[in-house]
Amino acid sequence: MAAGVHFQLRGVGVQYGDCCALDSIDLDIAPGEAVALVGPSGAGKTTLLRLLNGTVRPARGTVAADGYDLAALSASELRRVRADIGFIHQDLALVPNLRVLQNVLAGRLGRISFLQGLRNAISPSRQCITDVYAILDRVGIPEKLYQPVHRLSGGQRQRVAIARALYQRPRALLADEPVSSVDPARARDSIALLTEISRERNLTLCMSLHNVELAREFFPRLIGLRGARVVFDRSSGVADRELSALYDLRPEEQAS
Amino acid sequence: MSATALEVRLPRPPWSVRGIVVLALLATAILSAAYLQLGTHSLVPSAPGLHAAQKFFVRALSPAVAHESDVPAGTPPLLVNALRATGMTVFIAVEAMSLAIVIGLLLAFAASSAWWMGDPSGAQSWWLRVVRRGIVPALYGTARIVIAVMRSTHELLWAVLFLAAFGLTQSSAVLAIAIPFGGTLAKVFSEILDEAPRDAATALRSAGASPVQVFFFGLLPRALPDMIAYAFYRFECALRASAVLGFFGFPTLGYFIAASFENLYYGEVWTYLYTLFVLVLVVEAWSGALRRRMAI
Repeated sequence: MAAGVHFQLRGVGVQYGDCCALDSIDLDIAPGEAVALVGPSGAGKTTLLRLLNGTVRPARGTVAADGYDLAALSASELRRVRADIGFIHQDLALVPNLRVLQNVLAGRLGRISFLQGLRNAISPSRQCITDVYAILDRVGIPEKLYQPVHRLSGGQRQRVAIARALYQRPRALLADEPVSSVDPARARDSIALLTEISRERNLTLCMSLHNVELAREFFPRLIGLRGARVVFDRSSGVADRELSALYDLRPEEQAS
Repeated sequence: MSATALEVRLPRPPWSVRGIVVLALLATAILSAAYLQLGTHSLVPSAPGLHAAQKFFVRALSPAVAHESDVPAGTPPLLVNALRATGMTVFIAVEAMSLAIVIGLLLAFAASSAWWMGDPSGAQSWWLRVVRRGIVPALYGTARIVIAVMRSTHELLWAVLFLAAFGLTQSSAVLAIAIPFGGTLAKVFSEILDEAPRDAATALRSAGASPVQVFFFGLLPRALPDMIAYAFYRFECALRASAVLGFFGFPTLGYFIAASFENLYYGEVWTYLYTLFVLVLVVEAWSGALRRRMAI
């Protein structure tokens, strides 16, 4: 199995109009590392994740994946890098009127031609169906292979989104609040599944999470974001005091 | 002097264009009615007219099952005639819609802003920039103009044109319907595509799919249920248009309706009208069933 993606951010700043979404971020995420991003809403977690696959471009500094500066790549080179990075969206971003099979197959479009994609959409090969079935089995919903997504429950849809990202055969997984729409028990299950699979396949895993307890339980490394900055980056034991300061409702100056 | 709360001048609402437009529209409606001398005084029927209308509507309860006059030997029975005319009406509508859907899809892709939106991230090569800044907007503008031209003329006027050019052939009827319908489908399809949720498209793009793949596998499937529902509605319109083209002599339901009406065979007129009614109901039931299956 190929090693996970190595992400490096150097002095990165992101600007949305007048609003500074991220400011002077320096980060190194090693291949195969599992990292949780925590912090209040609007702290810049989503922006940070989207920097990592090049959907957001930094106003300052550089973002590199495996040493390639994402801003300097051509469109087709960027597509190749992105094909290696699975992204699980907060709203799942599935096509509800298509079957689970077709939704999962769409994950690998970045690696195949348009005509192969068309063939998959109309009559996928036995090999493709076998691969998708194996992944659905791994995420726990093999019996849903031919169900249209709009018939599935919220938890099952989330499994489909995870399956699509895995079928992509990524070397890194980025997940933006992947469990915000399911109940605590299912949230725990999904996070356990994602961390386990990432370990098995040596994927770099970077996930934003609101649930600090889950983040502490499943991730060796926590990065706390607040007000567009990294306020802590710990590989062992984040103090409760730091966490309560992270989510403090008072403005920055008074919080510390 | 200190200003109390009561003395504070409230800010006036900003000057609104909307109110003036609504007033202007109302005034136009009233002036047009006056100019056209609309009113119940112009709707008083003449005595023979009233009599004819009464005869016509009474026959609604007893549509003809056989020809109401002596027909030349060899003329097929009325119901066979009705069935054949229905078949011709459906065939012309089906062919016209098939052509219109192909025209509509091609023009809709060109006139939709969704697929050619450049990927804002990723450095661009110079030829991609030429495509995005020059060729694509030109294609978009041309498609919009072509669609407007196709839609601005009614199918009956296209029929007059094609009758003059090609004579009374089925092909001219099909073309006359396909052109304005293709334009309308293109306009509505492009709007549906532009308004379809882009979440899945964004997800595929971030997984490295090319813009064409993103369009066909992320955006089109999300727009498809609405596009199918609208195409069904237009098929219903095409059936009616195909029937009405019979007034020009094409052997569809309209031809027989006009002939029977002129000869005052109202029973036959009702037979043909009921056939058309059943046809529309069947299409409606079919599209309803399909929509339920797709759970729109």
